Amino acid sequence: MEEMKDTYIQEANELLENLESSLLSLEDNPNDNSNIEQVFRVMHTLKGNSSMFGLTKIAEFVHDLETIYDKIRQGEMNLSKEILNTTLASFDHLNRIIHDSELQDPKNIENHQELIKKIHTFIQKESTATNANVTSATTMENNALRTVQVIFQPNEDLFLDGTNPLFLIADLTSLGKNCVIPHFKRVQTLDEYNPTFCITYWEVYLETKVPKEEIMDVFVFVEGNAKIEMNEFPYVNLISNREFITTVNSVIFKDALIDKVILTEQIEKVGEKVSSVTPNAKGVIVQDADAAVRIESKEKVVSSIRVASDKLDELMNLVSELVTTQASLTLYNEKNETPELEIISENIEKLSRRLRDIAFGMTLVPINNMFSRFQRLVRDMSETLGKEIQFVTEGGETELDKSIIETLTDPLMHIIRNSLDHGLEKPEDRMFLGKPRKGTVKLKAFYSGISVYIQIIDDGKGIDVEAVRNKAISKGFLKEEDVLSDKEIFDFIFFPGFSTAAVVTDISGRGVGMDVVKRNITDLKGSIVVESAVNVGTTLTIKLPLSLSIIDGLLVEIEKVNYIIPLSVVNKCYEVNNADMLHNFNKLLVLEEKQVPYINIRKEFGYQDLVEDEKSQLIVVSDGDHEVGICVDYIVGEYQAVVKPIGKYYKNQDFISGATILGDGSIALVMDTHKIVELYTEHVKMEVR
Amino acid sequence: MKTDVTNENNLGETKSFLSFRLGEEHFTIPVMKIMEILEVPKITKVPQSPNFLVGVINLRGAVLPVIDTRIKFGMTQMEYTINTCILVLSVEVNDETLVVGALVDSVSEVFELNESKIKPSPSIATKYRADYIAGMIQEDDHFMMVLNIDKVFSSMDLESMAESKEVKVEENK
Amino acid sequence: MKKNILIVDDSESIREVVSIALQSEGYNVFTGIDGQDGLKVLLENTNVNLIISDLNMPNMNGISFLKEVRKIDKYKYLPILILTTESQEAKKLEAKQEGATGWIIKPFVKDKLLAVVKKVIR
Repeated sequence: MEEMKDTYIQEANELLENLESSLLSLEDNPNDNSNIEQVFRVMHTLKGNSSMFGLTKIAEFVHDLETIYDKIRQGEMNLSKEILNTTLASFDHLNRIIHDSELQDPKNIENHQELIKKIHTFIQKESTATNANVTSATTMENNALRTVQVIFQPNEDLFLDGTNPLFLIADLTSLGKNCVIPHFKRVQTLDEYNPTFCITYWEVYLETKVPKEEIMDVFVFVEGNAKIEMNEFPYVNLISNREFITTVNSVIFKDALIDKVILTEQIEKVGEKVSSVTPNAKGVIVQDADAAVRIESKEKVVSSIRVASDKLDELMNLVSELVTTQASLTLYNEKNETPELEIISENIEKLSRRLRDIAFGMTLVPINNMFSRFQRLVRDMSETLGKEIQFVTEGGETELDKSIIETLTDPLMHIIRNSLDHGLEKPEDRMFLGKPRKGTVKLKAFYSGISVYIQIIDDGKGIDVEAVRNKAISKGFLKEEDVLSDKEIFDFIFFPGFSTAAVVTDISGRGVGMDVVKRNITDLKGSIVVESAVNVGTTLTIKLPLSLSIIDGLLVEIEKVNYIIPLSVVNKCYEVNNADMLHNFNKLLVLEEKQVPYINIRKEFGYQDLVEDEKSQLIVVSDGDHEVGICVDYIVGEYQAVVKPIGKYYKNQDFISGATILGDGSIALVMDTHKIVELYTEHVKMEVR
Repeated sequence: MKTDVTNENNLGETKSFLSFRLGEEHFTIPVMKIMEILEVPKITKVPQSPNFLVGVINLRGAVLPVIDTRIKFGMTQMEYTINTCILVLSVEVNDETLVVGALVDSVSEVFELNESKIKPSPSIATKYRADYIAGMIQEDDHFMMVLNIDKVFSSMDLESMAESKEVKVEENK
Repeated sequence: MKKNILIVDDSESIREVVSIALQSEGYNVFTGIDGQDGLKVLLENTNVNLIISDLNMPNMNGISFLKEVRKIDKYKYLPILILTTESQEAKKLEAKQEGATGWIIKPFVKDKLLAVVKKVIR
């Protein structure tokens, strides 16, 4: 059991996370029944798990808590602010005691009792007198060997709920020496014969010491479906009696129990020798319809084991190698067209794809797990700060390396705290500025190329570039005459010793940490960029690499160079005339009645411009909420790309997020379309200036 | 090339060196730094990258950046001949080991030399950046420059390059 | 012949505890994370001999799941055990009415679980 405790805690953590987010949304929509149901359900599961693991203190605690929500959902009680606060406090408490299930920490005990008291006031629990001592009622003095007669008469529809009466009989017979007599209520004629009716009933004689309750326990599932009669004959050993056996044989399969008179007679003159005879309920057909069982070990049994991360890395590497090798095989096959080989090659492709997905699944978790944690932070902080805040998350399904998510929590927490504290204004101030009372903090995650972007966007007061610049100069990071872009100036926020708070806002001196934030993110081989406009808001963009990067991509060709566009961003492909793009002032193409901006990638990449009379392929990709077309010379096809880093020399070419090796050993470059759009936008801005 | 390996009185260690040619100039680097020597395969140029970055190649499944060493030394762009080859070098940059390919016109020979034979570079070397050159070897009338490859290939500042305009300003850290 | 048991519960812990217990007794175990998933698994596998299902689950709760299973001709008489937290008489009765064969009351120890399972399949 001990090794399962980890699973318990792990799952309890998940449940609590879930509970928290449900509670928070419940707070926003107190009348939303589905939220109440959800809260109840999570508590219920937690209670079930806890008691399964024998953690009675937790189970009882959750039980009481659950009772409140049960009453609320039944409409017997209303959800009040106090209840919610107590629930949240209980939630915090639970977070602690799942690690201290025996309440060894005195603080926890105190807290525990206090909360229980509060909870009880809500459910007006009729004191604690309920736990009366029901247990030791009667331990039965009938420990002596005796004969018990059980008459088990199932209803005709007994089979309908999957009960197999023979198993019950077998249970019964396991209790002692026995004799089972089957009877037919009636015999069906062939034309009315219905195998789904149970027309058999049983008369069982047991020689046992087992108490009556335990015998009745055998029938616990069929109490409503059968008539069960039990008679006890103390100090009698009927079963070994030859005369009795004869009697038994005479009534088998008849619709008649052993005649009471005869039975009594026999009981009276019971003898004690007689060899063991075990009459058997033979003649009753045992239906065991097991056709060949397919043992397809589809073990969806989610048990977890710990694996050293370097082993996982190695697995990933091997999968990458396999994918690359398979690409060579596919290519070879295309050239040589051997039908037999084609089948093998296709199979290997399928296999490697599945293997890849599994390998992926082992390391990646959706970012949502982390997002919900922040919900609580926002709620708590908005109360202390006296601000009204709407917290929005987007792209929670985006998956990231588990270890990355863990390292990322603190920096994100810090950034969000900063946004709430320094970024968003008080409601009055916002009204004054003509902004909605409620400030918005948005947490957004999305893929682009082989990177994951996480953005923290607020619509607060923004950061004043000049203030940052002056501060940087006064700190000696920058000379008066230096000319830097806004982006570069904002970068100073991440300099150690650059206390943003002092400059940008007047609240709190807690300017620590942005340098730590940056360091944490750099440690993950990621980057962070600030964009901000006064009174409009601030956006922090974190870019993180996907540690394992085998992606499904679209292999295209531009100027004889192969490129991969991640399929995850590709929406559609069109063929377009180059002339339409070359003489297009707005740089917009109308495709299926939609206007789509496009990027002449040849221009961005410094290649020769499009040839007037030819056609290009326009790949429409999504970039955040927008669609953008990227024109390429040819589409080669889909390609499963193992993305490798292209190294530090190319850090200025960040629109290429990596390279992959094609089947023929040559290299294709992987585009980061988000960065390409950025590059293009900057380009356009420059031209406008 | 003849080298004096018999002189036991020299204090330095004796090491292996490889010499190669860039244009008309001869350079040498310690063999220890060279992982292998390749013929020139198909190179994929990364768009918008500076001229000295020729592109990337497939080195047995890894992606290897290749540098035009001639441009690095202010010469004209590499002209490919049958002798052109890539030295795969392991370079130390800020405590990190990078692997990089260096295009050279031809590889000449491997020889052993006592380190004490390496003399500080005279003024003749000033046409190259001083920190690129670890020293000089003189043999009769020949001079050969011993390169500090950690500097040559780690340096991301591009002063010595003909075209630096394509590259954004990088160095202010 | 190994018996196949389908466990349907949204709690990973429960699925794990039950699975391990059953596997140790030589049963084949399949799992589903809710009613819907359970139904899927049930349809994917030719021969399930017993279902052990939770009642409170997202997507499709235990009672609905029970009803759905009983609609499948092949599984009309399949033994189905439900898991309940404590003696919720009403729930038990409802489940029973909808065709549950029996119930297992949480918390349970392995022996108890196996005893109940043996009550309905051999």
